[in-house]
Amino acid sequence: MSSRDTIIGDIQKSLGRNDASPVLPNPPIVPPRIPGSREQEIAKLFEEISALKGNGRRIAPNQVGEALTGLVHAQSIRKAVLWNTERLAQLGVPNKLRELGIEVIPRDSDKPVLAEADLGVTEADFLLAETGTIGLLSSPDKPRSVSLLPRIHLAIVHPNAFRADLHQVFAEANSKDYLILITGPSRTSDIELVVTIGVHGPQVLYVWMVED
Amino acid sequence: MKTNIAPIDFRANSQHVPPEMVSGVQAATTRFLGSRARVVAELATWEELRQAGSEIRRHTLDHLDHYLVMLESKVRALGGQVHWARDAAEANEIFLQIAREHKVKTIVKSKSMASEEIHLNRAMEEEGIRAVETDLGEYIIQVAGTGPSHIIAPALHLTKEGIADLFREKLGVDTPPDPTRLTQIAHDRLREEFLAAEMGVSGANFLVAETGTVVLVTNEGNGRMCTTQPPVHVVIAGIDKVVPDWESLTVFVKLLARSATGQKISTYTSFITGASANASENGPREFHLVLLDNGRTRTLRDPETHETLKCIRCGACLNICPVYNHVGGHAYGTTYSGPIGAILSPQLLGTRIAADLPFASTLCGACADICPVKIPIPEILLHLRHRIAEGDEIEESVTSGFVRGAMTISTWAMRMPWLWWLGSRVLGIIQAPFRRDEWLPNLPPPLSRWTISRPFPAFKPEFRDWWAKRDRTKRKELQTNKKDDGAKSLE
Repeated sequence: MSSRDTIIGDIQKSLGRNDASPVLPNPPIVPPRIPGSREQEIAKLFEEISALKGNGRRIAPNQVGEALTGLVHAQSIRKAVLWNTERLAQLGVPNKLRELGIEVIPRDSDKPVLAEADLGVTEADFLLAETGTIGLLSSPDKPRSVSLLPRIHLAIVHPNAFRADLHQVFAEANSKDYLILITGPSRTSDIELVVTIGVHGPQVLYVWMVED
Repeated sequence: MKTNIAPIDFRANSQHVPPEMVSGVQAATTRFLGSRARVVAELATWEELRQAGSEIRRHTLDHLDHYLVMLESKVRALGGQVHWARDAAEANEIFLQIAREHKVKTIVKSKSMASEEIHLNRAMEEEGIRAVETDLGEYIIQVAGTGPSHIIAPALHLTKEGIADLFREKLGVDTPPDPTRLTQIAHDRLREEFLAAEMGVSGANFLVAETGTVVLVTNEGNGRMCTTQPPVHVVIAGIDKVVPDWESLTVFVKLLARSATGQKISTYTSFITGASANASENGPREFHLVLLDNGRTRTLRDPETHETLKCIRCGACLNICPVYNHVGGHAYGTTYSGPIGAILSPQLLGTRIAADLPFASTLCGACADICPVKIPIPEILLHLRHRIAEGDEIEESVTSGFVRGAMTISTWAMRMPWLWWLGSRVLGIIQAPFRRDEWLPNLPPPLSRWTISRPFPAFKPEFRDWWAKRDRTKRKELQTNKKDDGAKSLE
């Protein structure tokens, strides 16, 4: 008998039956969170992000260029990699970066090349105000490494991405093959409990809320 | 069940605990408990979440076969491969097969207790494959060559100066003992490993049966690295990690980080369903799931103890346990320490090896109060103690023949008064030469092991005579009083 059949058989014997029994409906779930107004959600999101040493701010669409210039100089960005989305193109992000003399690395480059990027720019598919979380799905145009390998991660987000609670995020994401919930820059306290920001994931997280 | 492993001697282990281990552990547990208290207080629905968590886990265990089969079919439908391992040897063999097939020279590992349970690193190294730990704490203790002192923060017993010395000696790099600089060294070394490794290994905090999804809860980004950079991703997880669906998952995502470190949610919570559909998503091309039994089905067999498998590995019980806070994780001598270790390890390894652990407890019950899924740890500890002392359908007793014999004789003596009387007469005679008034200050070996440090109270057979005499006197008095009362009432 295969290991699989042995294990399943052992489980059934342990539970006192010899085949699968009908499965009763799941137990009741805890009532989910009721969201505040848009302004309250935005404020809460930034409060949580800032508590985790992330940088959240609101920017008007026509100020994105200026903000990018500031970021590039403040963080000495030379190379960047971006998600390929309509909105980022609309806001002029790839063009502005090139204008600033940044080398934009193609998304599908080899990993060691991608790892040389200083800045990764994404959007966010979901926002959770209660915990200051941004949620990212993935696709060939929105690869996973962009929010992971570079030392700076910039997420340009829109309030439409807000969801009240995990229930809503999961209802939409459970048919996708990848979801990452990002809450703050990478951290550890493994050495003497001293909180160190920036380990293997990005060291700095920027979240820019750009409304239409 | 393993028979070639030495029994764990908790008492001996706890004699060798260095003081910096204890202070490191207590600093960590105090911090985690404080943070936990804050985030739990903010959540009005905490107790409802705990109840829901407990019920969902019970339900899952009651239908574990159903959910495992569902999980397998979902993972397979997405092109992933599912392997079933009855024990550590089978699991390691599966890993080796996958490694050989892909000519793997280096594995990067995200933190996984299941992989430590099967001693994966050792099995790989014996075949000439490097297994690199990438969680910072695990990396540090791998470089140091020691074991973890806490489930969540394995290198807590080391100082930053100690780690700087370690890096100087083992990695050949000189740096001041500053956590940021030390972390940077680990970052640089491990980045090379992430990008070059042929295989990434992770555990799974949860396995979602509904969609075949692996959930990873991390803070450093190493979990994401191990599961996105190498071309092959292998997950090893106990069969008890299954949850039915995403809706149930909302409960556990809210319970886990708060209970473990006092964060509302960990920095990175990843939901990985199969290999990535397309290379340019930067994901792995091949996905394997290794489901590990290793004693879990045996644990399921006993309805008194199977709630042990509800555990979501948060470590909160360790943080609050007075025993753990005095000795740290190494004293438990095995993968799982603290209160959960005291009930899980004897069931996974067998009581022959882990008989000491259920007794390494004061039964204060703090663990049961803090457990996010309401595992009744003290009840299970008592049940396991019974199993160790007297045996049950799952396992025989592991107490020495001498103790069992003594218990049997005591039981007869307590059931048969004449035997008790005889025993007390005999004992009265035997002890006479050693008796000094009410005490026996010096007894011959092996009883000298007691009297070396204090006297033993003398057995008092004269008590029965005294009681019998008193009884007779009292009865006489009662009779006399009755006659008097009777006489009075006639007047």
